[in-house]
Amino acid sequence: MATVHFREIVKNYGKTRVLHGISLDITDGEFVVLVGPSGCGKSTLLRMLAGLEDITGGTIAIDGRVVNDVDSKDRDIAMVFQSYALYPHMTVRENMGFSLRLRNEKRALIDQRVATAAKILNLEPFLARYPRELSGGQRQRVAMGRAIVRDPKVFLFDEPLSNLDAKLRVAMRTEIKALHQRLKTTTVYVTHDQIEAMTMADRIAVMNEGRIEQLGDPLELYDRPANLFVAQFIGSPAMNIFDGVTRAGAVEALGARWPANGRATDGQRVRYGIRPEHLEPAASGIPAEVIVVEPMGAETEIVAKVGDTALTVMMRGRSSAGPGEGIFLAPQAAHAHLFDAASGQRL
Amino acid sequence: MNRYWREARLWLVAIPVLLWTLLPIYHIFLFSISTKDSAFSGALWPDHPTLRNFGTVFRQEHFYLHHFWEQIWNSLWIACAVGVLTLFIATCAAFAISRIKVRGGRTVMNAALFTYFIPAAFLAVPMYKAMGTYGLLNSRWSLVLAMVTLASPYAIWVLKQASDKLPWELDEAARIDGATPLQLFRLVYLPLMTPSLVAIGTYALLLAWNEYLYAFLLLSHENTIPLAVGLGHFLASDDSPWELLMATALIYAAPPAAIYYAFRRYMVGGLTAGAVKS
Repeated sequence: MATVHFREIVKNYGKTRVLHGISLDITDGEFVVLVGPSGCGKSTLLRMLAGLEDITGGTIAIDGRVVNDVDSKDRDIAMVFQSYALYPHMTVRENMGFSLRLRNEKRALIDQRVATAAKILNLEPFLARYPRELSGGQRQRVAMGRAIVRDPKVFLFDEPLSNLDAKLRVAMRTEIKALHQRLKTTTVYVTHDQIEAMTMADRIAVMNEGRIEQLGDPLELYDRPANLFVAQFIGSPAMNIFDGVTRAGAVEALGARWPANGRATDGQRVRYGIRPEHLEPAASGIPAEVIVVEPMGAETEIVAKVGDTALTVMMRGRSSAGPGEGIFLAPQAAHAHLFDAASGQRL
Repeated sequence: MNRYWREARLWLVAIPVLLWTLLPIYHIFLFSISTKDSAFSGALWPDHPTLRNFGTVFRQEHFYLHHFWEQIWNSLWIACAVGVLTLFIATCAAFAISRIKVRGGRTVMNAALFTYFIPAAFLAVPMYKAMGTYGLLNSRWSLVLAMVTLASPYAIWVLKQASDKLPWELDEAARIDGATPLQLFRLVYLPLMTPSLVAIGTYALLLAWNEYLYAFLLLSHENTIPLAVGLGHFLASDDSPWELLMATALIYAAPPAAIYYAFRRYMVGGLTAGAVKS
């Protein structure tokens, strides 16, 4: 177990700068998720921590030791790859014990460590099989087993669930989280899937274009996004956002008055944001026209038009409204978000 | 109807090609089981087929065959040495260029490609001169070195292309697992490259086994030449023992056929790997 510190990390590929001075402190035993769209630099940052990419500027420290010039194998980390990267010519047992074999550990110790890891991951029946004889989820577990066997200071996960189908992804998500709670090893996890980030992380770093847009625990990011990017990236379905102008404590937008609780001066141009579940159908309020109704059982998602803008509404229970019908929307003032129209920063 | 016609056309091409290929081999076989008198009778099957020619060859009971076992041993020794050396050089080069990405790798690959433009025959005389300078003429090593030189560029090219197809994550996983480059080479790279290695090893081996020109030039002692050159000596006299020549030729052709048959699974896949950039 260990702490990880990124200090002003810069990365250039040729003349292109892909990371612009990232600083991030990860405490002992923490589960931190780096999330962002493809190309935001999250995988690069992880690979720099793993020692698979050179560091152009700044320092990375694991457990207080700067590792910029330390070889991957001497950093005491284990990594789970998106493609699993299992050795195809080795059995599950050999795959999991490979790192110990390279360290010339005793046969008995290797067997014991592999057996323990296999037990944790329910891989005992498959130890003699080759990777090609396993399903996607089993391969994923072997990849995790390979990491566990080493008992490293830090676990690194690079989009480990992207190759799995939706159902398996949810199951593995739970397994990884349970594993972390059991082992308490410091973990850095990269994903582009904000739901994975929300459900697994102790803290999330939302990245965009080589910068950290916001760092915080999942609900903090959800409730108080620091800027438009985070507001749009976190949450599914995505937050409704549209242009407006502040007037007397509310926002005039789409031909209606929207309640607000942000600190904006009168007459300021803003972007108004409200999550679908904070916009409820009501007996009176802002008139809207229903476009689509998507019942999901416990909840119902309604896409409705206010003026020319389509908004998403998420209501608990079921709706009797049909396409083309008029409804009224009641936004919850306490959950409205205001962003500066020019900078996109939270007001 | 259309399908039958297409099938028929295929047969129309296939049968002549098959005959064209098999006829000389049948001819060799026919000669080898005929007696000296009936060898040129023109019959499709000899009146008194015999295996005595093979016995004569194995017991070295003819002037031209006095060194048969020695020469076939030379062939074998040279072919195996060429196979092993080419494989060693090409594998190391491919690993260094493709996986470790050493500087100058591209230049080596371009140079390897460039050697295709020079026909082997052009290099025969310079090679003879070079071997003479190093005092290697008439040593089996001269032929081994020459053949390795000729086989390596193609071998490097094919193995490099095959290496490029191995997932890069495996190297990274091995590095994180604590593998040194040599361990990566031995424990991960070599096992995964086996099909290509078998194909390339066989290619080099057969290239050397079948070589005539260089063997003829570089080796001239009866006890250093490979059997391919020894076979050529049969034609030195006016009255060549054709039945023995063909029996020896058949024996000489057997090992390559056996090797090719044994490794046919690897040959097609291994040699076409890297044929197209994917």
